[in-house]
Amino acid sequence: MKKRDIVIGGYAETAIDFKTGRSAYDLAGEALDQLLERTGIDRSEIDGLSVTTALSEAQNPFFAVYMTEALGITPTWLNYGGIGGCSATGGVARAMSAIRDGMCKLAVVMSSDAPSSDWRSNYGAYRSEFQDPPGVQGPPATFGLLMSRYIHQYGLDPEALGKIAITQRAHALHNPNGYKKFQKELTMEEYLKSRVISDPLRVLDSVMFCDGANAFIVTTEENARRLGLKKMVYPVAYGEVTNFNGSDPLADITQSGFTRIGPEVLRKAGLAPKDVRMFQPYDDFTIAVMMQFEAFGFCERGEGSAYTLRTDLSFNGELPLNTGGGQISAGQPGLASGGLNLAEAVRQMFGEGGSRQVPDPRNALVTGIGVIPYGRNWGTSSAMVLEA
Amino acid sequence: MSDTTPTTPAAPVRPVPRQGVYVDSKPFWDGIAQGKLVLQYCTVAKRFQHYPKPVSGFTGRRTLEWREVAGTGTIYACTVVRIPGPGVEGRIPLCVATVELDEGVRIIANVLRCAPSDLAIGKRVRLAIDQLTPEQAYPAFELA
Repeated sequence: MKKRDIVIGGYAETAIDFKTGRSAYDLAGEALDQLLERTGIDRSEIDGLSVTTALSEAQNPFFAVYMTEALGITPTWLNYGGIGGCSATGGVARAMSAIRDGMCKLAVVMSSDAPSSDWRSNYGAYRSEFQDPPGVQGPPATFGLLMSRYIHQYGLDPEALGKIAITQRAHALHNPNGYKKFQKELTMEEYLKSRVISDPLRVLDSVMFCDGANAFIVTTEENARRLGLKKMVYPVAYGEVTNFNGSDPLADITQSGFTRIGPEVLRKAGLAPKDVRMFQPYDDFTIAVMMQFEAFGFCERGEGSAYTLRTDLSFNGELPLNTGGGQISAGQPGLASGGLNLAEAVRQMFGEGGSRQVPDPRNALVTGIGVIPYGRNWGTSSAMVLEA
Repeated sequence: MSDTTPTTPAAPVRPVPRQGVYVDSKPFWDGIAQGKLVLQYCTVAKRFQHYPKPVSGFTGRRTLEWREVAGTGTIYACTVVRIPGPGVEGRIPLCVATVELDEGVRIIANVLRCAPSDLAIGKRVRLAIDQLTPEQAYPAFELA
């Protein structure tokens, strides 16, 4: 049974830029300032805070506490989100539970990161002994492996991934917050000619680290109305799973956590795939978007290429896809990345999509991906359905 | 994927990881120094796991020992790293594979002396010894 007692009552997003020289705190300050300006609420109303772990502050175990000082917030509920690109939707979901448990009344979910200015992260664990020596340091090699397996099992038309990249790039042209260097049209020819960085993965299948921040207000509908908030959306379903198939050494790596939570989340929201009004999926790589089409049931497994090629994914099309350009074409603000897809969903549902406004934005499906583990797909998968 | 000449410098200078930082991995390192691939084995599930973990992924208990595997398997997934990065200097294009060993466990490793165009899923491979430094061996594979 879905609940409609809690809302996202405001959002803020900074411009996304490369090597700003700014800190995650400074970017968060800009996001908070914008959030208070847009909603008109007083900072003293904020008694909960969720902070997303930042690559630029990952060596600081007290980043979230320092963030409360930076922002002048005194929360009775403080969450430190360590699930990477799932931390924004996951932060909203955890804030909802905290509010229902009476731990706070109004929470801000803040994601801010500046890895292109200051990378201070060490993933540690087993990587230095078992993953780095064969040259699998970064996500591209892991996604090259994943793509190779997908192609082996199902086949893949490169033009389908190209269409995802091109469609999102066309959307980014309408997004004033997007990274400026990406604000030029992309053609299929350019996509197909783009450099292969880890076979068969192309550079235009991939995100680029930038700096940026986003923030959301989560509170009860009742409190939102008391505060005079005019625009709000209802997170009616959330699902999350970490380390899916993690203990099966022979798991099919083309099955991700979304295979498990995707259909569940839609069922909880009472939606069939065809009812989804817009899809704002986490897009670190184009193949991840295509695998999500399949996992959520927009098409059958292995039919991602055909589905992508036959479906109008533009903002005014059949299934509007990452209507702000997504991370691939607006820039990936480090681990604040998941909030980029979420901010675009809320913006569209508030009717603030401008020249890329989705008609009848009555609901949205938003996802997150966190962490790239050893030889599989991704560590955490999260999905949230928002309703008007 | 048409390159024909992977570079394998005679004496590559590569980072040597500090051993045992995650869990005790001495048997793995001792094994490869003798040309053997030694991996963690769950004595209850009777299955291997890799990378080594603090508990068995099958039981959650420390029902673990180390056993040598035959070093033969099939390429499950593969890629050719073409961008520079720490530790891959002088090795690009670099053939990387997820190898499914015949014992039923996967390991990520380089495929040595393999042209990128010859690297493919389904091909049989066998253990080969890579040298991180002249003194430090590391497991890799070559086409069988």
